[in-house]
Amino acid sequence: MGTQVKDVIIKPEAPNALLLDKHADYISAYGSKKDDYEYTLSEYLRMSGIYWGLTVMDLMAQLPRMNRQEIIDFIKACQHECGGVSASIGHDPHLLYTLSAVQILCLYDSVDAIDVDKVVEYIKGLQQEDGSFAGDKWGEIDTRFSFCAVATLALLGKMDTINVDKAVEFVLSCMNFDGGFGCRPGSESHAGQIYCCTGFLSLTGQLHQVNADLLGWWLCERQLPSGGLNGRPEKLPDVCYSWWVLASLKIIGRIHWIDKAKLRTFILACQDEETGGFADRPGDMVDPFHTLFGIAGLSLLGDEQIKPVNPVLCMPEDVLQRINLQPDLLS
Amino acid sequence: MAECEEEVLVQRVVKDITNALKRNPSIDEIGVIPCPEARYNRSPIVLVENKLGVESWCVKFLLPYVHNKLLLYRQRKHWLDREALVDITCTVLLLNPDFTTAWNVRKELVQSGVLNPEKDLYLGQLALTKFPKSPETWIHRRWVLQQVLGQSSAGDRRRRQQQRDEADAERSQQLSEHLARTLHQEMKVCSDAACRYPSNYNAWSHRIWVLQHMARGNIKVFYDELSSMRLWVSMHVSDHSGFHYRQFLLKELVSELSQSTASSTSSPQHRSSSVSSSSPVPFHNHANGELSGGEGGEDEEERQLSFITVLQLFHQEMELISDLIQSFPGHETLWSHRRHVFFLWHQWRTDQQLSNDGGDSTLLSDREAGLHKGGAQGCAAQVGEGVNGQCPSEAMEVEGASLPDPRDSKRLKRGVHLPAPPSLPSEYTFISSVLDSCCPSEQRRFALSYRKWLDTVIVQQP
Repeated sequence: MGTQVKDVIIKPEAPNALLLDKHADYISAYGSKKDDYEYTLSEYLRMSGIYWGLTVMDLMAQLPRMNRQEIIDFIKACQHECGGVSASIGHDPHLLYTLSAVQILCLYDSVDAIDVDKVVEYIKGLQQEDGSFAGDKWGEIDTRFSFCAVATLALLGKMDTINVDKAVEFVLSCMNFDGGFGCRPGSESHAGQIYCCTGFLSLTGQLHQVNADLLGWWLCERQLPSGGLNGRPEKLPDVCYSWWVLASLKIIGRIHWIDKAKLRTFILACQDEETGGFADRPGDMVDPFHTLFGIAGLSLLGDEQIKPVNPVLCMPEDVLQRINLQPDLLS
Repeated sequence: MAECEEEVLVQRVVKDITNALKRNPSIDEIGVIPCPEARYNRSPIVLVENKLGVESWCVKFLLPYVHNKLLLYRQRKHWLDREALVDITCTVLLLNPDFTTAWNVRKELVQSGVLNPEKDLYLGQLALTKFPKSPETWIHRRWVLQQVLGQSSAGDRRRRQQQRDEADAERSQQLSEHLARTLHQEMKVCSDAACRYPSNYNAWSHRIWVLQHMARGNIKVFYDELSSMRLWVSMHVSDHSGFHYRQFLLKELVSELSQSTASSTSSPQHRSSSVSSSSPVPFHNHANGELSGGEGGEDEEERQLSFITVLQLFHQEMELISDLIQSFPGHETLWSHRRHVFFLWHQWRTDQQLSNDGGDSTLLSDREAGLHKGGAQGCAAQVGEGVNGQCPSEAMEVEGASLPDPRDSKRLKRGVHLPAPPSLPSEYTFISSVLDSCCPSEQRRFALSYRKWLDTVIVQQP
């Protein structure tokens, strides 16, 4: 008797070397060969899609292959009167895409292409009395949006425009007994939310408020026999969760608590040898989202063919050095 | 296909969907029917026994068409009247429910009074049958529910200002019933989505939100949820989110009951716009809905009753987890639940010891002393002089399987057998029994990890 552990088995013939050229080709061709239907389905998150693609290209030192001017013009067209940025033209502005837009403009060292003061006003206006942030004018509250707000402001050097103490208070109210964080007070711990909350506490200089040993314990328990990491107990391993868990461990100074070699094997096995790109799990369909988090994960694990990545903002370290931003990490 | 031909077809399909929904208000599920090619002169919209299907061949141009039409409207490049907007957003969202801007268009329609909030909840419910995780659908639901709550609390305020006449009272009752129905329906939508996708984070965190906003402080609703979840979690032993919800319920109940322990005169109050427990709630009846509200003289009894109820909640939960861990070995979710429940217990016990001098904490330590002596198996220990200094003249067993009925509170004076709360020794005994049995390696790993957790998190901390 017993239960099959929810995990994958990595086949002996799975890729075990990093196929950088293939990935660069995959990303640079992405978008040019998509049909109407596919494009429509994901247009609601286009701005984040561009951030994923450009960041992974930059980490592989291939950013010049992308069309800089076209992208900057697109971002300009997506800024709204209120200052917020939307996922695409004609869509409504939201904090998620405002952060992605600012991240992209930092990669291109051209933040001034949009009205920065208005972005700051937009973010300031979304802070609530309890310190939390709404994602847009309709008022949904989530710790993800707290991260988006402070990450955008940190990149713009305008953190002092919001009530940071209140913002910290709200995020801490979402901490659970296992040291993790959920989307709102009382919600279940979730690796994606933990990444946002530890990243938030790093950017606001409050990492000492985390119980690093307890949280580190929970995060390490996400590693499965295959080496991959899941985002919650009894879920399948996934390349994107591998990034969120790994980055959180890096932020709280506990990355050495997991088996790095096994995780590397898992991430490499998620590559598609023919098309390039990474999938969530070995053998699945690839996409730019998992391609970024696969490459970024390998960078955090110390792969020297990739530029060093910052665990808090998921951007190349050299970009952050240029704007003089060094988020705290625990040792 | 030529452009105008396509336009005619798409408009017909949009109308077909709208009409199907209008004519059959009991449609309860949507889906795409695999069908690579069109069959001549037949609508791609198929309705079979309350299930609405769209043939797959038409989705590929239906979605881009309605999607682009809506975006042109949003950019003020194309005019759509309100009825067309309702129809187009409906089609778009049934095919692609994470298209945030389409939900926002509907929010504006609700605000302007064109769209009934309930209709919008229904559309979301249908979308969730095909896309049970869709974050934007859940987000939109919360917004709509807030509109419904806002309307009802505005009604509350108006009523308070006016003199209460009969018609007014009737209206007030209708409103509470309405809110209770909305709450009940929302729980059903959450259950449905939870069954369609395991460990559905968005569905379960929505369910928590709903209780926090629509039933805060309503002990009866929390009890009903806890008891109805018992069967659900037993049948979904890998569903970490479902168990987390149970932990949330337990924590809230313990905290409500402890508040009434601390200040027994204050009964759990309900916010004006929440479902009030005094209204006729369409949930199955539970004898222990009301735990407070008695006269001053009964305060002490109520305090005791709340205290015993907390012990019983913990006792029953630990029994349930032990059962499940032994019946379904090797599930991380179950061991994680055990950690959480024990942690909650540990925290509650610490709080009680801090806030009480003597009284219940004496009772508690007597109880624990009994456990230490008698091992984990002792299931009931008599409350002696610890309670209120009264000697029990006659021992009464509190039923192990159900919660105490407040109507029985008078009997408390005569003494009760307390349910066995969790304790460190009983946890270590449980771990040893698992390790001693011949269990799968996973089960062993989880048992050892739980022991390590107890050693580090509970024992080493004050």
